[in-house]
Amino acid sequence: MTSQGFLPQLPLTVNALALFGLLLLVGLIGGEFAKRVLRLPRVVGYVVVGLLLGESGLGLLNARVVAESWIFVEIALGLILFELGRRLHFAWLLNDRWLLATGLLESTLCFGFIYYALTYFGVQPIYAAVAAAIGVSTSPAVVLLVAQELKAEGQVTERALNLTAMNSVIAFVLTTMMISVIHQEYRADFTMALLHPIYLLAGSLVLGYIASGALIMLSRWIGKHAERQLAVMLALIVFTIGTAYMLELSTLIALMAFGVFSRNLDTRHDLMAVDFSMIAQMFYVVLFVMSSAKLHVIDLLTGGLIAVVFVLARFAGKSIAVMGLTYFSGARRGSAGLLCLALTPMSGLALAMVQGTANLYPDFSAKLSATVLSAVLILELIGPIAVQFALKRAGEAKEEK
Amino acid sequence: MERPEMEFKSSPGLSVGVELELQILNSRDYDLARDALDLIALLEKTKLPGEVKPEITESMIELNSSIHNSHDTLLAELKTLRNAVTQAAQRLNVRIAGGGSHAFHLWADRRIYPTERFNHLLKLYGYLAKQFTIFGQHVHIGCPDGDTAIYLAHIFSRYVPHFIALSASSPFQQGEDTAYQSSRLNTVSAFPLSGHLPFVQSWREFLEYFDKMRGYGIVESMKDFYWDIRPKPEFGTVEIRVFDTPLTVERAALIAAYVQSLARYILNERPLAPEADVYTLYNYNRFQACRHGLKATLVDAYTQRPVELRAEIIETLKRLAPHAAALGNSEALASLKFEVEADRSDAGWLRQAYQETKSLNDVARLQSDLWMGLSRP
Repeated sequence: MTSQGFLPQLPLTVNALALFGLLLLVGLIGGEFAKRVLRLPRVVGYVVVGLLLGESGLGLLNARVVAESWIFVEIALGLILFELGRRLHFAWLLNDRWLLATGLLESTLCFGFIYYALTYFGVQPIYAAVAAAIGVSTSPAVVLLVAQELKAEGQVTERALNLTAMNSVIAFVLTTMMISVIHQEYRADFTMALLHPIYLLAGSLVLGYIASGALIMLSRWIGKHAERQLAVMLALIVFTIGTAYMLELSTLIALMAFGVFSRNLDTRHDLMAVDFSMIAQMFYVVLFVMSSAKLHVIDLLTGGLIAVVFVLARFAGKSIAVMGLTYFSGARRGSAGLLCLALTPMSGLALAMVQGTANLYPDFSAKLSATVLSAVLILELIGPIAVQFALKRAGEAKEEK
Repeated sequence: MERPEMEFKSSPGLSVGVELELQILNSRDYDLARDALDLIALLEKTKLPGEVKPEITESMIELNSSIHNSHDTLLAELKTLRNAVTQAAQRLNVRIAGGGSHAFHLWADRRIYPTERFNHLLKLYGYLAKQFTIFGQHVHIGCPDGDTAIYLAHIFSRYVPHFIALSASSPFQQGEDTAYQSSRLNTVSAFPLSGHLPFVQSWREFLEYFDKMRGYGIVESMKDFYWDIRPKPEFGTVEIRVFDTPLTVERAALIAAYVQSLARYILNERPLAPEADVYTLYNYNRFQACRHGLKATLVDAYTQRPVELRAEIIETLKRLAPHAAALGNSEALASLKFEVEADRSDAGWLRQAYQETKSLNDVARLQSDLWMGLSRP
């Protein structure tokens, strides 16, 4: 042994942790660049960094890094869905039923338009239906992040978040039902086709319900201390994600249900409105960088045209409903158009739900992904800009100094 | 000098009108929200008595009653307004609360309501404009002429501590217990044109003063004076502005009944002559009432002796009995007397709520439940 044996051996092997930290930093720098230089939402920067480093770009984000950051991505999604679920306030929907009607009609038309547009352009009905179900959901992460970044508050912001919560719930339920259709398509056994979605839906709801009960009881015991309630929330979010995996349930539905129940069952007001944005920022960077790293720009060449059809049909479905019904709700004149823009972002979230099932039938998964992910790619870039424009135009963003 | 707007417009003696500045809260953490524009737009679609108006920041709205002759019709109208505002607020998922201050909002977060006048005030007063997100009740009393208004205003000045103690509902500011029953008035005091009417003896003398101030370029209209009590020539009223907005419209109506009965006593019996010493002691007595509420000890300018405020209010309520009866306000004053004797105040209610919940967010929530009529005091 030489006297310099304590020094690292050259060439250095970069471990996954260092790579992951680097990824975070590059993502953050990309976000700052987008914000300061281009005056775009930071999310756009994260997405672009993901594309550059990911499978379409330098290919730095290999399987090892993805595995290392998987837990962060899960937690990020958990935080977002929980927070979004907490925005879905039943009392409001009862007090402004036109808002409820807008949410239902918007999701229905969106599904119908995408389905018909895709089948019209020759997509097989089953793919069209699954893609349409996925398209119903507005990206909760994008709307929430842009709203937080702008510190936006007001009717357009709140209504956009509520409609996003509603269409996400509807998309998750629809996609779960599609699982049954996929099973049938591949001639799986009838009980499997019937029981699988029921198990997913009911099981995830029950899990979310139990988690919210635990959260409310623990918070009551802890009292009104924001930092400790926050810790309990985070712990339960992580625990719920893990449990959903163990039980082969849907993490998306479980976490969303967790949020919705904690908002609406907290009749004694034990929970504080804890703001996780400080902690969550890091998770969000990872989420966007990692999820866009998996997107293939090349898909746009093959799936591009049909993706554009998808995007337009989706926008038309949502907009017709929102433009038609917002006047009757309590929202002020002129907010309908802005709401349409704010609902533009789309995420591949719901895709993850069918993917588990679709993976049983690989051929199905591949065909679906190209279309849906091309649309996601387009909307991950345009969506945040549309939301930022809508919230600023509505005068709901915090004044810039 | 031509000044038609300063012509004192005679109005039916002893008529009463009320303005209430109210808080708009979000229903997530009960901090101040900024939905005034939407709320006002939504209320414009409904036919309402009185008026709904914007105030300096987007977290406030102001309700104006029409003109009344007694407590009962005023209360009925305020309830109608409250129900309409509550319903509109619920459609927007926001809440409305009374109280002179929001317990924990940060003034720097406030946004000025976009009108020319409010933007001008922001430019003129800087941060004070945003700090002015405080909530008061104004009571107007109709007067036949300007001289009567000046006299009434001077005698009302002696009773300012009563008004403060009866309405005090701003114990918390910016997340802290201020130790005051009404901390709101400290914010008003920061304005250069706050304070009281000069010791003029007639409407003619007042106009001379006004012309001088306008000549200097200090004021353009009566609106620029932020006095506790000011004559309002275009309405033909004396306007008292020291009240914190009470937690309920019921309390707001009781306070209006007290003022109206007091005005009848003052104008019918002319028991006191205007006294310069009222203003010598004014700031001290006003501070005592803000700090201690009903438990304050004041110095009376007329007897030059210390007086216990609570005992003096009870004494005054007794003296007002025949006037209250003549106006149809007897029951109102009886309930007010009951509250004062029990030492109950809105500031006390708020502190109690904090004791029980240990959370100012919950205080704001309970406060809005109370104003919207979703809970009882």
